[in-house]
Amino acid sequence: MGDIEKEQFKEWEGKTEAFIKKHPERKDFFETSSNIPIDRLYMPNEMDEAYIEKLNYPGEYPFTRGIQPTMYRGRLWSMRQYAGFSTAEESNKRYKYLLEQGQTGLSVAFDLPTQIGYDSDDPHAKGEIGKVGVAIDSLKDMEILFQDIPLDKVSTSMTINAPASILLAMYIAVAEKQGVAPEQLSGTIQNDILKEYIARGTYIYPPKPSMRLITNIFEYCANYLPKWNTISISGYHIREAGSTAVQEVAFTLANAIAYVESALEAGLEIDEFAPRLAFFFNAHNQFFEEIAKFRAARRLWAKIMKERFHAKKEKSLQLRFHTQTAGSTLTAQQPDNNVVRVAIQALAAILGGTQSLHTNSRDEALALPTQDSARIALRTQQIIAYETGVTDTIDPLGGSYYIEALTDQIEKEVEEYLNIIDEMGGAVTAIEQGFIQREIHKAAYQYQRDIEAEKQWIVGLNSFKITDETKPELLRVDPSVAKLQEQKLKELRDSRDNEAIAIRLAALKQAAETDENVMPFIVEAVKAYATIGEIANVLREVFGIYQPS
Amino acid sequence: MQKKIRVLIAKPGLDGHDRGALVIAQGLRDEGMEVIYSGLRQTPEQIVAAAIQEDVDCIGLSILSGAHNELFPEVTRLLKENHAEDILVIGGGVIPDDDIPFLQKHGIKAIFTPGTSISEIAQFIKGVSLEDKGTVSNSSVKKIDHLGIAVHHLDEAIPFFQDVLGLKLLGKEEVVTEGVKVAFFEVGETKLELLEPLNKESPIYKHLEKRGEGFHHIAFEVDNLIQQFDWMKENGFPLLQDKPKDGAHGKKVGFIHPKSTHKVLVEFCEIPIKE
Repeated sequence: MGDIEKEQFKEWEGKTEAFIKKHPERKDFFETSSNIPIDRLYMPNEMDEAYIEKLNYPGEYPFTRGIQPTMYRGRLWSMRQYAGFSTAEESNKRYKYLLEQGQTGLSVAFDLPTQIGYDSDDPHAKGEIGKVGVAIDSLKDMEILFQDIPLDKVSTSMTINAPASILLAMYIAVAEKQGVAPEQLSGTIQNDILKEYIARGTYIYPPKPSMRLITNIFEYCANYLPKWNTISISGYHIREAGSTAVQEVAFTLANAIAYVESALEAGLEIDEFAPRLAFFFNAHNQFFEEIAKFRAARRLWAKIMKERFHAKKEKSLQLRFHTQTAGSTLTAQQPDNNVVRVAIQALAAILGGTQSLHTNSRDEALALPTQDSARIALRTQQIIAYETGVTDTIDPLGGSYYIEALTDQIEKEVEEYLNIIDEMGGAVTAIEQGFIQREIHKAAYQYQRDIEAEKQWIVGLNSFKITDETKPELLRVDPSVAKLQEQKLKELRDSRDNEAIAIRLAALKQAAETDENVMPFIVEAVKAYATIGEIANVLREVFGIYQPS
Repeated sequence: MQKKIRVLIAKPGLDGHDRGALVIAQGLRDEGMEVIYSGLRQTPEQIVAAAIQEDVDCIGLSILSGAHNELFPEVTRLLKENHAEDILVIGGGVIPDDDIPFLQKHGIKAIFTPGTSISEIAQFIKGVSLEDKGTVSNSSVKKIDHLGIAVHHLDEAIPFFQDVLGLKLLGKEEVVTEGVKVAFFEVGETKLELLEPLNKESPIYKHLEKRGEGFHHIAFEVDNLIQQFDWMKENGFPLLQDKPKDGAHGKKVGFIHPKSTHKVLVEFCEIPIKE
């Protein structure tokens, strides 16, 4: 090291020591099984400008090596298993079980009617109630869902997009009943509508009013829920729909740019909302490419925020992300093999520096996961966290010729896509014109062709097959859920103060028709036990419904 | 021309996972079918109405949310109600094996679970749709009986085939109805027929005028010429004559117009059973 570099290193060390005083590392001393001491960080012998520009220290711009100065030596990632099915009562039981098993955060899966803003007794909901997640019709269900779970202690992630404002309002209301103030709440709503148009499909309203709802949430949370992640900008579903790793990062960042621009247009300050933007990526099969992808994404985002949006706060520049292993890589054939796939994908996410992780269950290509499968999935993370030592030094693959070359290349190709999308007029236009969807579909079709031509081998599917497979036990959702939810709704509608609801819904409608922030009105409606369908219908009337071309 | 198989790929229910549906739609198009994709969130009523309006042969349903037991049977029930139960219904998605017998009982002919190849699905649709139309049994082509070659003069052409190639000359014959003089050579199981025009009215004369010497027609031996004719007519292939006529060696023959057979003049012949 030259003098300047030594100076920089000392500076980082000093900063890190101060950080450690506040956030101690997990152990005083890290070593291998052979008693070789493990340093916090390993660096090249020769530090040059290129290193500082591209990689720098962890916790330093552009955060390629990680967003915190100690990474997993300080705190492990949140182990956050996405779960929820059937009724609020059933899901509440599963959450308590997962927390007892050592899970460190909740992640709520809602059923499709909830995600699309239909009550359980709506004809559109037929067959779907309680299937892919828990059915929530009103605050009543939400109270049951979080019964005996202290909302000031757990952080909760909710996979909810088009009606995110309604579910967030319910969460705030449940917390209030528990005596927990909004500013104490920590968690995430997915709230990423653009990828719904691209890949996931649970949109309700057209893009413009949808973007306005999101901006309303940004503003509301900046004022009242400072610890809440207001959006989880998701590449996960884009990848599941068949995109490449480069496309996943490119389209996610393109969407992120669109959200930032929309918030700026609404008059918000960049450093007011940017620190609460979170991301969600996929961990796929190509091990090194995935690790490089996460590192490239961090560097790209830091640059975009600094150079394009002139963000000042360090937290605005940091790309924090949740990761989920790739459900679409799991096979229905020889399902136990999926445990191995998930373990390797999870390892890639951890080596890529994720902040939280969901590991998929082995039986997801067959049905919803059973309790046993969900437990093995959680255990997979725990084994990596506690047995392998990969958490003992920061960015262990940093400096690998291969990883760094891949990181650079992914960054370059993502920038090319971002330029194309900018030229088209941004992500919203690119989506409306079907550009992003077509790019993904092309990649998906090519992949399927490669599998069928056996250019791409999938173990157990087109190679190493067995004929007499034993069938695993599968989870079945009790079909009586639908009846139960309908019954609950009927009782609710009979017992609540319907006049108060009419007044609050009218107030919401009026606010929606102007530029006012709708969040406070939704919170009021929810507290009076207006249902999700009733609130969504008010907004449908004002905003209209999205019709894909 | 044979009608293309028409398929409606549809997403009933609320789930937005259409990677599989889109890939299958594209794959079946590449297999030569006409495919319509419904888009997301279609009710069974919408799907059945679209299938009838678009006059499809097959509906492919895709669900990944677990709502298949409620929604698939609703589609087949509505098809029946609308007297359209002849439309083949198949399904795919995340569907447990244990549910398959139930769905089949309700008229969903096949369920394709994750890992199925596109070609497997295409084969299934083609198989069922041909079976329904009875396409398989009514063409009775057995083998190539002979290949016809037009020449100006038999005597000038024979030496090449007989002496140079060493083929056995089976004989020469005048077929007055066709205005030709022919020579047959034996080539393994099949034969070559050289044709020389007898007069200016002969189709061979016209062929030579237009295209010169060379390949003229391919003749398939069939079991039942009348039935073959009916079958061709049913499928819209124009015949050059209404009834079989006499060909060389006492065979019954008939020709299909080359404009519908990729410019190849096709002859069918039936060898009379010797008494």
